[in-house]
Amino acid sequence: MKSKSMWSFGTREVVYGAIGAALYGILSWASNFVPLPAAGNISFRPAIAVMVFFGSAFGPWVGLLTGLLGNTLGDALTGWGLYWNWSVGNGLIGLVAGLAVNLIKNYRSGRDIGIGVGYGILGNAVGLLFASLTEIFVGGIDLNTALVGYFTPAFLGNSVVTIILLPILLVAYAAVAARRGR
Amino acid sequence: MLVTWKYRPRDTFIQSLDPRARLTFMACVILAITATDVWDARLLLPVFAISMVLYFMARIEWRDVRRAWIFILVFILFIIGLNALLGGRGGPLSVLQDDSSVLYALSIPIPLTPWRINLTVTVVRSFFALVQMMRMITMAALAIPIPYTIDPSIYGVTFRRMGASDKLSFTMDLAFRFVPTLGRDFMITMDAQRARGYELESVRGGLIQRLRRLAPLLVPVTMQAIVNGEEVIDAMDLRAFGARRRTWLRELHLRQRDYWFMALGVIILVIMMTARILGYGEFWVPGFWYRLVGT
Repeated sequence: MKSKSMWSFGTREVVYGAIGAALYGILSWASNFVPLPAAGNISFRPAIAVMVFFGSAFGPWVGLLTGLLGNTLGDALTGWGLYWNWSVGNGLIGLVAGLAVNLIKNYRSGRDIGIGVGYGILGNAVGLLFASLTEIFVGGIDLNTALVGYFTPAFLGNSVVTIILLPILLVAYAAVAARRGR
Repeated sequence: MLVTWKYRPRDTFIQSLDPRARLTFMACVILAITATDVWDARLLLPVFAISMVLYFMARIEWRDVRRAWIFILVFILFIIGLNALLGGRGGPLSVLQDDSSVLYALSIPIPLTPWRINLTVTVVRSFFALVQMMRMITMAALAIPIPYTIDPSIYGVTFRRMGASDKLSFTMDLAFRFVPTLGRDFMITMDAQRARGYELESVRGGLIQRLRRLAPLLVPVTMQAIVNGEEVIDAMDLRAFGARRRTWLRELHLRQRDYWFMALGVIILVIMMTARILGYGEFWVPGFWYRLVGT
């Protein structure tokens, strides 16, 4: 699997993209009634860790689809609506996180896990920046407002979730990946 | 608790429209009010009115949508308030060159720093906040009804017929189909872990500990889904997925009303673009606003 180009798009990517999106949607929806820690207006959404994980384990396409479709699904389940810029922003998070796929060889090694977390945080910065900056055109808000109101709380919350939950998911996946033998 | 879709079949004009027509209309309106940078309330008000009329025509029950509206309205107020607090820039230039009379001024020193937070509400800025709110609500009124009025089973074919590839559209279709199954797995796992003494509702411990406590829920659900995914991949590969163009169970047909609806979207976009090219659409404060807010 690792020898394949990380940009190939076949049945695997379709299925894992769909599973990732469905999980991301369900976990976003579950965030509404499962008590989650919050600090100020920063909320910690565990769904983000699952999306970054799908990117780091299955590559950029799966990461992109998980975020893009997962956010659309989550908004459809909770009934918030359809917001293209946040869906694209979430897709970018997964895409950038997925660029680490070929760099992660051993899901148990501290170094490789660190790479996954690093790309995950970078992805969060890119994706959330995109979504926050597009809000400037929608609401006619200031750059500072976009950064303080939209970007910073989401980025901080998502980064904490990525740092804490992504290593747990990667280590758990090591056993599954070994068993699958692909 | 079962995962359920917000969609319900309703006998309304909105739901009789082709989803492609609705998404095209929405894209036109979003472009019309954002990309053109129109800030004139006289141009924005008709678009706001159209989107509100369409919202009410969708006849979505208030109890269904109450949470979403409250959340979005509170968020809009928060963002507009924050924007005012952070200097109120953004939007058209005329808001910055504002010499109208001050309605309210507040200056709070930030402790331990030489800086102060200044909040100055002027006649012009107060109207600007109102226009900002109008734009954001226009978008929300178009976005919110989508999940309530478009059948989840036709998202895939909708995007396919709008030019997305077979694989991408099928991923979307598959994701929607996985939701009830994975939702059930999620609930079963939660109950199973609770039976073993897992305390999800417990608020003990710090932030890190509480996030770590989500692992017994996330790990089994995610890993089980991946293992089951392998079987789905094999089944699809055995049926030669991706070898030829797909056919779709549901076919979409554009009718006359769909063309009219898309035309309305395009007309709104063209009007806004033309207005901008001709030099209209700058931010404008009506005379009555000066009298109303007392200057």
